[in-house]
Amino acid sequence: MQVIMSILSRLIQRLPRTVWNGRYWLTVLFVLSTISGNAQNPSLEYQLKAVFLFNFTQFVDWPAESFPNNKSPLVIGVIGENPFGKYLEQAVSGETKNGHPVVVQYYRDEEAAKFCHMLFINLPESDKRKQVIEKIKEEPVLTVSDASDFSIQGGLVRFVTRKNKIKLQINLEACKELGLVPSSKLLKLADIIEPGKTN
Amino acid sequence: MFSVEWSFQGFVSLPCNADFCNRLARVFSRADLDCNPILSIEMTNPIITHPLRSHASWTFVTLLLSFAPALSFSQARNKPTAPETLKKLTLEQLMDIEVTSVSKRPQHLAEVASAIQVISRKDIIQSGAKTLAEALRLASNLQVAQVNSSQWAISARGFDNVLANKLLVLIDGRTVYTPLYAGVFWDVQNLILEDVDRIEVISGPGGTLWGANAVNGVINIITKSSKETKGLYAEAATGTSLPGLGSVRYGGQLAKNLSYRVYGTGFRMGHTVDSNAVKVNDDWSMLQGGLRLDWEASDKDVVSLQQNFQLQAYYDHTFRDFRNNFTEDLKTFDIEWQQSYEHGHGNQLNYGLNLRMMDHKVTNLLLFQFLPERKKLYLYSLFLQEEVALVPDRLHLTLGSKIEHNSYTGFEFQPNGRLSWTPAKSQTLWMSVSRAVRTPARIDRDFFLLLTPELPFIGGSESVKSETVIAYELGWRSLPREDLSLSLSTFYNTYDHIRSAEPGPEPFFIPITFANGVKGKTYGFELAATYQITPSWNLRGGYTFLKKDLKVKPESRDINAGSAESNDPQNQFVVQSSVEVLKWLELGTLIRYVDRLPKPAVPSYTRLDLRIAFKLGKSFELNVVGQNLLDKQHYEFIPSSPAPRQIERSIYGKLICRL
Repeated sequence: MQVIMSILSRLIQRLPRTVWNGRYWLTVLFVLSTISGNAQNPSLEYQLKAVFLFNFTQFVDWPAESFPNNKSPLVIGVIGENPFGKYLEQAVSGETKNGHPVVVQYYRDEEAAKFCHMLFINLPESDKRKQVIEKIKEEPVLTVSDASDFSIQGGLVRFVTRKNKIKLQINLEACKELGLVPSSKLLKLADIIEPGKTN
Repeated sequence: MFSVEWSFQGFVSLPCNADFCNRLARVFSRADLDCNPILSIEMTNPIITHPLRSHASWTFVTLLLSFAPALSFSQARNKPTAPETLKKLTLEQLMDIEVTSVSKRPQHLAEVASAIQVISRKDIIQSGAKTLAEALRLASNLQVAQVNSSQWAISARGFDNVLANKLLVLIDGRTVYTPLYAGVFWDVQNLILEDVDRIEVISGPGGTLWGANAVNGVINIITKSSKETKGLYAEAATGTSLPGLGSVRYGGQLAKNLSYRVYGTGFRMGHTVDSNAVKVNDDWSMLQGGLRLDWEASDKDVVSLQQNFQLQAYYDHTFRDFRNNFTEDLKTFDIEWQQSYEHGHGNQLNYGLNLRMMDHKVTNLLLFQFLPERKKLYLYSLFLQEEVALVPDRLHLTLGSKIEHNSYTGFEFQPNGRLSWTPAKSQTLWMSVSRAVRTPARIDRDFFLLLTPELPFIGGSESVKSETVIAYELGWRSLPREDLSLSLSTFYNTYDHIRSAEPGPEPFFIPITFANGVKGKTYGFELAATYQITPSWNLRGGYTFLKKDLKVKPESRDINAGSAESNDPQNQFVVQSSVEVLKWLELGTLIRYVDRLPKPAVPSYTRLDLRIAFKLGKSFELNVVGQNLLDKQHYEFIPSSPAPRQIERSIYGKLICRL
């Protein structure tokens, strides 16, 4: 690192004065760069993941008692930064599961997340993720995340990007314990993993 | 791991008509290949005129038919696909969609185990670059120097020269080098930059995948499909170094699956100045027209699935008239097949076959000759590569080799071993050992410069072998945060059989003949970063350090003492800032520092380019671009001939209309 720094500093010393005289416009750029910009479209990766989440509502069965009544919604929750923009809402709009309309909710804290059916956890910090999982581990919530240690932490479904394609890992035992029943079709395509083991 | 390399469009170029396409589509549907052929026909016809000392030339590129279904998806990535479209797909199909070749999302870049830099269309436009060669200045892992108004010296990891021959350049999968000297005539590589999707610059050998000439790097220029360039685009510019530029492109839909674009572009590039800052007559102009048709056989929406095979072929015809009666006529036929086969848990076998025939013909001058005048160069190769997941998602080993046969040196082997370790999702550490070759070009074997018709002064030699490199690379990519990406690539290359010029017998020491008398090593590192400071402010930059140690071998008496093939800066860095200040105002800044060049000596310089863009309503835009603002003029490269030229400070304005 020292070598790099010394090279860089030597370089900077060798820069013609004009660059430093030009410092004012850099300042101008800094000042002018007002934080604006439209909500960005999600990348293809998250478009696909949003559609996967929708598909999970169709390929997983939740225990009947997780719905207060016949018309109550099936809730997909997102905790942490929302990577989908409006895309997930668009994907599920008008969709139902056995008569339950599918809706999306965004959560700030894990307390409220207890009452959803599926939770996409987009928290980069491992311990925060752990905290969320711990909080809802007794509830029939299908937890989904990209995090590599998600399964070890007790998460149920993990998106794995392999060869640039999205694959699934499902912790089947843990799903069953919570009364969540993934369809055989889903299981056929996913890697079934055992808690505590690597992956 | 090698997703980048596999990102090529597949092209088949055939003498094709609608009936033929239909037949072909039927063949493929009958074969049940679940394939979505895309036919691309591209024709360009540039005419160049240099008033004084150079040439006119035209290029004709024709008929490309591709089976690259995954591609249309990645190209459409800026516009989200309608959820309805994706929801129609089965889970299997969803799992089979490639997220992109090299996604803009840094997560994926983090997993790429090579020294790649991606220049996006946005980066190009915000830099104010006028030509493709100028746009390459954005890649900090390239040595880019303007020699005069139309000539450029561009290379990666050194060996930069007007006749640089260790870099492979592809435009939409089509190799654009000339077998004359295994380099690129940069003046004819003209595109409407608005229609470029991205430029991928890979430094380091790519011989295993791309074959000979990818010794030090690969530039992969990808233009948009005509499906993405619908409507009218027109631009007109003028300025101090650009007396005039005008382009019109129109794209549309002819039938449900058939889109097209036609374009015409023309410019006059301004002159450079000599050592006394007096202007010289090297200004030049170009007129170019082109047509591209993209046809998709399937009714599927933009969503199409990634195939495990690709077939690509093209035909390319270039004619260049050097205006002194020397002409070059090159016809290239190329066909390539690649297939991948997944087995075990995350293992993949890739293999491919490539056939290329280059029919190269020159008209010689009395004292400047390539013998024979016409030569057919055949190249065929087999490539085999196995990717093993030692620990799935963590540790990958890739072993492969290209076995290539060429008309000059016979069989060449270009193996590569690569290990990549992804300790966390945001980090990849990779190392690689590879061998690549630069096979002889016509200049090495067939060239004669004569003093009288009987007395050669410089002569090619039958004994010239391939130049070789063995490259050791170690790299690291990291994404400490969503908005920040860092990459460090280090390399240690050992070269052998580099071209030398050997004096002839006494007393006159002529003819001078080419041999392989130079060897040596280069080492250095490339540091690159991108930082999205705010959604509207993007910063990217890089620093490249390069050290060379070339020696003349004991048996050689190289007249240039090993220095002829390269003239490279030891340090260089690039910083680009692009800010969308307001909805109607953009500011682009490009700073490029290039260290001094040793021989012929060129002092170090710093370039500053500024671009201000005003959006006037929905469809109009006014750009004001200042280039090379820090110096009144400076040298960027001094060639052995013609005379050295300085590049001046310049400014131009451009009016753009998008309808």
